Amino acid sequence: MNDRQKRDFEAGLKAEVDAWLRGEPTRRDFIKKFGQMTGMIAVAGSIIPATAQWALAQAAVDLADPSTPLGKAQAAAMKASTEGPADGSAYRAVQAAKQYSGVTLNMTYEAGLQALDPRNYSGPVWEQLTGIKTNVVELSHPDQYSKPVAEHIAASGAYDILDIEPAWTPSLADGGVIAPLDDYIAKYLNTADLEDYHPLYKALPTYKGKVWGFFDDGDIFALYYRKDIFEDPKMKDAYQAKFNKALEVPKTWEDYAQVAQFITDQMAPNVYGAGHFRKAGSPGNQYDFLQQFRANNGKFFDENMKAQLATPEGIKTLENMLAANKASIPGNNELDAVSLWAAWLQGKVAMIYSWPPTGRMTAGYSQSDKAINFIPQSTIADKVGYAIVPGNPEHATGYNKALAADSANLDAAYLFMQWAVSPPVSLSRVMLPYALRDPYRLSHFKSDLYASLFPTAKDYLRNLNNSANVGLLDMIMPGWQDYALSIDRMCTSVWAGTDPKAALETAAAEWDVTTDRLGVDSQKAFFEEYKKLPGSSADHTVEKMGLAVKLD
Amino acid sequence: MAQVGNMKQAGSLSRLEALSEWSDRHFKWLLVVPAVVLILALSVYPLLFSIWVLFVNYDFQIPGHAFVGLKNFQQVLVDPVARWSLWLTIALSVTNVAIEFLLGLALALTMVKTFRGRGLVMSIIIVPLFISPVIVGQAWTLLLQRPFGPTNYLLGLLTGHEVAIGWLTESPWLYFSLIIADVWQWTPFMFVILLAGLTSIPPNLYEAAEIDGVGDWQVFRRITLPFLGPMITLAITFRLLDAIKLFDTIFIMTGGGPGTKTYTSSFYLYTVGFTQFHLSQATAGSWIFLALTIVVVTALVRKLLEVDQS
Amino acid sequence: MARLPIGRILFIGLYLLFVLVPLYWMFITSIKPSDDYLAVPPIWVPKQPTLVHYSAALFAYRGLQGLINSLIISLSATALSALFGTLMAYSFARFNTGGKHLAFWVLSQRFLPPVAVVLPIFLIYRILGLHDTYFGMIIAYTVFTLPVSVWMMFAYFRGIPKSMEEAALVDGCSRWMSFRKIALPLAIPGIVAAAIFAFIACWTEFFFALILTSRYTFTLPTVFRAFLGFQGAQYGEASALAIVSLVPSIILGTLVQKHLVRGLTLGAVRG
Repeated sequence: MNDRQKRDFEAGLKAEVDAWLRGEPTRRDFIKKFGQMTGMIAVAGSIIPATAQWALAQAAVDLADPSTPLGKAQAAAMKASTEGPADGSAYRAVQAAKQYSGVTLNMTYEAGLQALDPRNYSGPVWEQLTGIKTNVVELSHPDQYSKPVAEHIAASGAYDILDIEPAWTPSLADGGVIAPLDDYIAKYLNTADLEDYHPLYKALPTYKGKVWGFFDDGDIFALYYRKDIFEDPKMKDAYQAKFNKALEVPKTWEDYAQVAQFITDQMAPNVYGAGHFRKAGSPGNQYDFLQQFRANNGKFFDENMKAQLATPEGIKTLENMLAANKASIPGNNELDAVSLWAAWLQGKVAMIYSWPPTGRMTAGYSQSDKAINFIPQSTIADKVGYAIVPGNPEHATGYNKALAADSANLDAAYLFMQWAVSPPVSLSRVMLPYALRDPYRLSHFKSDLYASLFPTAKDYLRNLNNSANVGLLDMIMPGWQDYALSIDRMCTSVWAGTDPKAALETAAAEWDVTTDRLGVDSQKAFFEEYKKLPGSSADHTVEKMGLAVKLD
Repeated sequence: MAQVGNMKQAGSLSRLEALSEWSDRHFKWLLVVPAVVLILALSVYPLLFSIWVLFVNYDFQIPGHAFVGLKNFQQVLVDPVARWSLWLTIALSVTNVAIEFLLGLALALTMVKTFRGRGLVMSIIIVPLFISPVIVGQAWTLLLQRPFGPTNYLLGLLTGHEVAIGWLTESPWLYFSLIIADVWQWTPFMFVILLAGLTSIPPNLYEAAEIDGVGDWQVFRRITLPFLGPMITLAITFRLLDAIKLFDTIFIMTGGGPGTKTYTSSFYLYTVGFTQFHLSQATAGSWIFLALTIVVVTALVRKLLEVDQS
Repeated sequence: MARLPIGRILFIGLYLLFVLVPLYWMFITSIKPSDDYLAVPPIWVPKQPTLVHYSAALFAYRGLQGLINSLIISLSATALSALFGTLMAYSFARFNTGGKHLAFWVLSQRFLPPVAVVLPIFLIYRILGLHDTYFGMIIAYTVFTLPVSVWMMFAYFRGIPKSMEEAALVDGCSRWMSFRKIALPLAIPGIVAAAIFAFIACWTEFFFALILTSRYTFTLPTVFRAFLGFQGAQYGEASALAIVSLVPSIILGTLVQKHLVRGLTLGAVRG
């Protein structure tokens, strides 16, 4: 045994001894372990009983108390990984991966909160189970695209597993940066896993008939609002008096701006009606624009693949966004998602639409872990309601786990991916308090364990599921990164004062250049394929296609 | 030593002596060989390669390296962002250098006479020169970026009413921010060069002027300025040629935004080449920018060498 | 010593304030606890200074690794640049080697926009396997600092009278010996100054490091990029790292202050 194994062993031993002293039925294990330590019994991974292995894992990794929902989910994940069911993806992955023990996998993650999962949980647990080490490379969101491309061009083999936006799949696949998974799937995966995805997410990793990654993060936008403000009688009366309408959670973007402005007028500077993340590069502008644009019936391209941004729908979208900015917390245009969360949690904003972690942070669940110490405590835990974003919500980025084509450890990398997204393991990961990974499997949405994490968790899950039913996807096509950059630049320039029409025309011209560069005909073909996906437009959502998932 | 000479005449040179004789004759060339080899290695090969890239497709999203003629150049020339970034680069460089020059001159004139504490003051003044431009950008971002920076608060105190300017997102204030960061870093450069020039003016000229009762402004125009001429040329040349490469502070302070409002040529080429990976287009753009730079470099450096050799 | 008029004192005072305020604010940010960031009015002297940003910047964000890499690369490149630059400068100064053209070519390397050059170098390095290697970075930085080293030493050598070397030659010394024994010792101060300039240029360089390094040889300035993530800029950590990288810069800068005049004016000073 090397030093680390020895330490782990002794830590596990201590746990066993404690249990034994309490009189629990682990005496057999204890003796066996003692025997191993004195070299009488060979220490082979498969000989150590599952519970002992689990004890080792618990000692090395900071697992949750097994009486809590999170602890139970983690225990279930460990059980699935070490005992089976034998045809389960988690079990098969762990068994197949043990031969690669000692290898190190480099995985890219978004810097900051996202990276806490592999650092604190999935990485160390995987190492315990298989002996494969993990090294987390933290990158800013735009760098999660450009760094792997640069490394691929430099043929450096620097990364093994990539966290990528599903919408980047076509570019990265065509560019040879990621490898298709079909052979590995045939060899190792229990394909029932693939059916466990919400319909909005199922097709995301497929491109040109192959599978290029495992979807791993259900980033559907939802609306979170202050129930106490909306139900306050004084506010309701004032609103009714002013607009001759009841004060309700807005269903259209015009209503949204109106309600936000009203709340700001009434309650500033203590509370503002809304807040958004508008900072350039913090991926917010492009998703926000595209969701509202499509809710307004905007179309991306016409039959000749000419960009249709500089249209009345585009102008309407920008005008609504400007009105919303006006009603927002000061400094709105420089906020990124985390700063906005801080403002929201401190009660300064009445409505936000953002990624699912919002709900967990609002309930104070996320902050229960010391790893997430830079998110303030929630002052509004019992005052929040969940709703669907006006119009249709965007599924904003999301993440696929993808296999880097230049990796020197393809099989080991693939097996980690399979293990991490398997139903039991992924459930334990999305339940982590500090996780930014959000539920995406049907088994997640239906999980009783998840629903018991905080008082309103069940409603929260239901709202996420319903949002996904009417959700819209990013454009999954080659060149998406360029199209997105044009939108982001357009938005930030409008926030800085450029005329919306001029900005839209500039963006449309840039879109046309991108389309031409990639070939109008091939882009047209890809666009047609994209349009078939559920969620490609407001009249082609999961719900409109009759595939909506109903939870109880 | 004379004996060595005799031995040479005797015609029996050992190999080592022949080598040292040869190396002595070609000494001056041998001295430059290492440096020349390095510069060649890093300029000739890459530039030849890049000439090839100029005329083929080298784009991440489009496989293969097919010959495309002049298309890469065309892509750059029709790109409105390319033209805008060139215009912005010129405008910013000229503004930066002008302000740095004037401020540096004022400082140099103020500090030319020795006074108590002058050494310490000079040490503080030149500190920004040794700081990475990335850090300079970071320092100014900390001051200016809402909501963490104290700038708006301080301005509010000074002017008496609330100031809510987005120094890094609102036009035209964002240009002001970029300029101030650059001026902060590079004014000392001008200061040092001009100070050196000022201190080398023979003091008897000033004394004579004082005796003759010549006014300050006349002294400045007739004595100081002409003497300072070469140094001014030097300072402005060096600074200008550096200023057009402006990249680091943009990267940290504004990221080129909002929109493309703060895209300098270097930042534009970086975005096209290393964010979007349209490498052949970026190469074409680099060569165009290089050609323009060479014109300016040749003119200024030739002038500089004249100044130096005079 | 002259007494300065009030106007000038005010001007100098304001300028010093201008220089020091950003540095002070950055230092304060690096030791402020995160809760103080959003305080209004802004906090200029934190009540509970903390070093947590320093440890985060150096370890969690791998600033220490960046520091070590920068040291390795900068010191090596400085040594090479000083060495080759001195040799070349002596050749220019004493023998006018290559006339105007060679000198012009070397000097003009300084003024090439990095963005024009980095792309082909990136591609070539990739082919030669030099991407993200110490060797590749040291070569690049040596070439990048050579022009200034050459130019500074050129000015320096021209300031040393030829007479002593010529005497040595008459005595039968070879050119190499007269260089090594006579000219070189006299040039040490200039070499030191040139080396300091070169070191600072390497230490603060960003663009080439951004493109040519990755997970092994990333330099200190590139670590700042990690602080720009969408999760909100980590101001405390960024400031801490900035202060750390300032230290060598400022120390060396003060040391070289005397030579600064000479170096920057490149021999154009008379008298």
